[in-house]
Amino acid sequence: MSRLPGYWGSVLEVDLSTGRTGRREIPAADYEQFIGGRGLGMKLLWDLLPEPGVDPLGPDNPLLFMPGPFAGFPLPSASRTCVVTKSPITAPVASPHRHASTVSYSNMGGFIGPEIRFAGYDGILVRGRAAAPVYLYVDDDRVEIRDAGRFWGMGTDAFDRAFTEALGDRRFRTCYIGPAGENVVPYASVINTAARAAGRAGTGCVMGAKNLKAVAVRGSRQPDVAAHKRFLEALDKARAGFRGTPSTENWRRYGTGSALVASSDNGTQAVRNFREGTFEHIERIGGLAARRAVWQRDFACYACPLACKKAGRVADGPYPGLVHDGPEYETGTMLGANLLIGDLGGVQRAIWHADDLGLDIISVGGVIGFLMEAYERGCIDRDALDGLDLAWGGVDATVELLHRIAHREGVGDDAARGVRHLAGRMGHETAKFAIHSKGHGFAAWNVHVQPGYGVSYATSNRGACHLNGFTPDRQNGTALVDSVGVCLFARGGYAAGLVEQVLESISGRGWVDADYAAAGERVFNLEKCFNYREGFRRSDDSIPDRFFEEPLTVGPRKGAVVARDAWDRMMAEYYAKRDWDPATTRPADARLQALGLEFARVKLPA
Amino acid sequence: MSASEPSPGPLTALDLCGGVRADRRDFIRLAAWGGAGLAVGHFGARTLWAQGPSRQPVYAMILVDYNRCTGCRTCEAACAQFNHPVTVDGEEQRGLGNPSLSNIRVHAFNPDADVPVVCVMCRDNPCVAACPVEPDAEGRRALYRDPVLLTVRNDPSRCIACGACAEACRAHRVGAIIPNRETNRPERMCTLCGGDPQCVALCPYGALSYIKGGLDGRHYALPPERIAAELIARWYGPAQGGDVR
Repeated sequence: MSRLPGYWGSVLEVDLSTGRTGRREIPAADYEQFIGGRGLGMKLLWDLLPEPGVDPLGPDNPLLFMPGPFAGFPLPSASRTCVVTKSPITAPVASPHRHASTVSYSNMGGFIGPEIRFAGYDGILVRGRAAAPVYLYVDDDRVEIRDAGRFWGMGTDAFDRAFTEALGDRRFRTCYIGPAGENVVPYASVINTAARAAGRAGTGCVMGAKNLKAVAVRGSRQPDVAAHKRFLEALDKARAGFRGTPSTENWRRYGTGSALVASSDNGTQAVRNFREGTFEHIERIGGLAARRAVWQRDFACYACPLACKKAGRVADGPYPGLVHDGPEYETGTMLGANLLIGDLGGVQRAIWHADDLGLDIISVGGVIGFLMEAYERGCIDRDALDGLDLAWGGVDATVELLHRIAHREGVGDDAARGVRHLAGRMGHETAKFAIHSKGHGFAAWNVHVQPGYGVSYATSNRGACHLNGFTPDRQNGTALVDSVGVCLFARGGYAAGLVEQVLESISGRGWVDADYAAAGERVFNLEKCFNYREGFRRSDDSIPDRFFEEPLTVGPRKGAVVARDAWDRMMAEYYAKRDWDPATTRPADARLQALGLEFARVKLPA
Repeated sequence: MSASEPSPGPLTALDLCGGVRADRRDFIRLAAWGGAGLAVGHFGARTLWAQGPSRQPVYAMILVDYNRCTGCRTCEAACAQFNHPVTVDGEEQRGLGNPSLSNIRVHAFNPDADVPVVCVMCRDNPCVAACPVEPDAEGRRALYRDPVLLTVRNDPSRCIACGACAEACRAHRVGAIIPNRETNRPERMCTLCGGDPQCVALCPYGALSYIKGGLDGRHYALPPERIAAELIARWYGPAQGGDVR
């Protein structure tokens, strides 16, 4: 088998059940068709799960850590690592398969993706389940499954420090779970550098189900490239494209935090469990306030000129001395505006606890918002909340609930299962304000004013996702970027055609425009095939009734609501563009064949 | 949002070592040395040193402004690209930037602080002093100072791979010298890229400066752990950490 330049040609394969480690060869055609990251991870997931209904928490569910082909080179903002697995949180309305769920993918920045490539692998595939807590140690060719008993139970912040100490060299790059992952909370996150997260879609839950506390990687090598001079030219071009632009300056100054106030002003923010789009106290927790009162330092991922990561300290107020990242747009909204917490120190406190426990802040902010609303409406009382007074804006109660969720104590055990489960237990039409699609909670962008976000949430292959895109073209583009491993925040920094040019110089494979764009559509459709085979159909591509029935009551966009007929038209248009059956969502045979997905087509039910 | 907050002034080893008053007017920044001569950077105009017209070699080093460094490690790649070139089609080209070959290495800490470590060109060079190889006719040990740039260099034909230089740097200075994993010969001594340091040129954040001068005859060497502790205390307050319920 000929190896494609720019790739190692294999991923590290580790079976935690047997303790066996080795390399799994990847056919050159898979790299050409699926590129890396999210795409190649999806192809591996498909190959490893030939039948639907595999238990996401069982040993058969693979867990993949997938950098893209840009990782390991000093290309700007191209260090994302996509964690791919079968989701522990989504489920279809109806399915013949007991453990039916969607694909799960979530990517994180930092340094571990490049390090995996430096160690000589295009990814890490973890299978099986360890009998007791372990961590994976990778130092180039030296691969060991080591006891992690003494680390089990540690929060991610303390663990990050203790683990670095134990490894004895700061050149090791790590990622890990907190108590939430250990306790198999379905929306547990994978954390690195005590703050960056592959937060969404339950990646940390699957890691915990495998008894895998952490992964540590150190490498000394580097992949080659097919066309050295052309690569260097493209690298110089990419570096220059970020230099001194207003966008670069804005990322450095505010990160995603700049969107907090802007989104509220536009009525597009998740406020009061998505009931409203504008938060009256947003300026207290927005980017300007955070820059003034909290943020001390800006940090960047590998070779990134944007430095959107903000580390800060809370100097005064009720929680002085707290040191942590944030607020970002998502964290500040979901644990701030969505819960009506307008106190910056309080928001920071909640963010620290959620990260330390290893909870996906987007999901858990949605769960707590749902419970606050249910409490206000009397759908759940204080007894059922184990004594918690879950009034809007309560920081102490929020922090307490985060802990109960991560440790699955009392009401926390139900809350750990997500808003759909909670609504199912409560009844009373609470489903109308249980904000999820396919069981996965919405992110911090609200829908009333921008129904496109509804399409993004309803049609995302991992369950609700704000990064997915409003249209098929945009979604395919995102799937491509996630496969190459470029950060979504940086996609504008690469001039048109430059990503393809870099990819070409690395792999030597020529891309024509249509061919390149097809790769994104291919990835998206393979994910869709996976979901379809599990039993997801048209009724699963939905958003809650709230957005159709309850217009915004405050803010400049007061009165905004999604019209059902407009929504139906948008969705019909979506399926038509996709070439998916509008009644079932099954991709058309001809389309799958054209995309080279015949191997998936033959596995779909009629 | 367009409010502009005052950005903090530079924070470098010169401040942390306490050898120089923390008044940043006190030295010169030479971001473009080698091209247009001496370029005065954001540090101001007064100099600590006086370079006469004599063409005598002048001590020079890479100085890190910790207030600007974001830990992105572009410097590592830039260093490796320049100092580990490859020959492609008979032509020497920059390498691909494998950071494990870099002479400058960023150490990351929690709470967040990133400390790039690079040879600080100590005038009293304990690494050279520790080299046990007999000086040759020109007075050179296996480890020696480059006569032009005053960088520390190793002569592999005479090096006995004892590791004494690396140990001296680790024990007494910054730990910049690291023995090769296989040969145990010293590596990671800054070359100043022949006078146009690429880490300085390519740092996206302007966190690295190329300065030269006498620096009072002192060295400005602190181990990264001590620098990190100092930075963390300055940025995040004396007691940092998480929170209790």
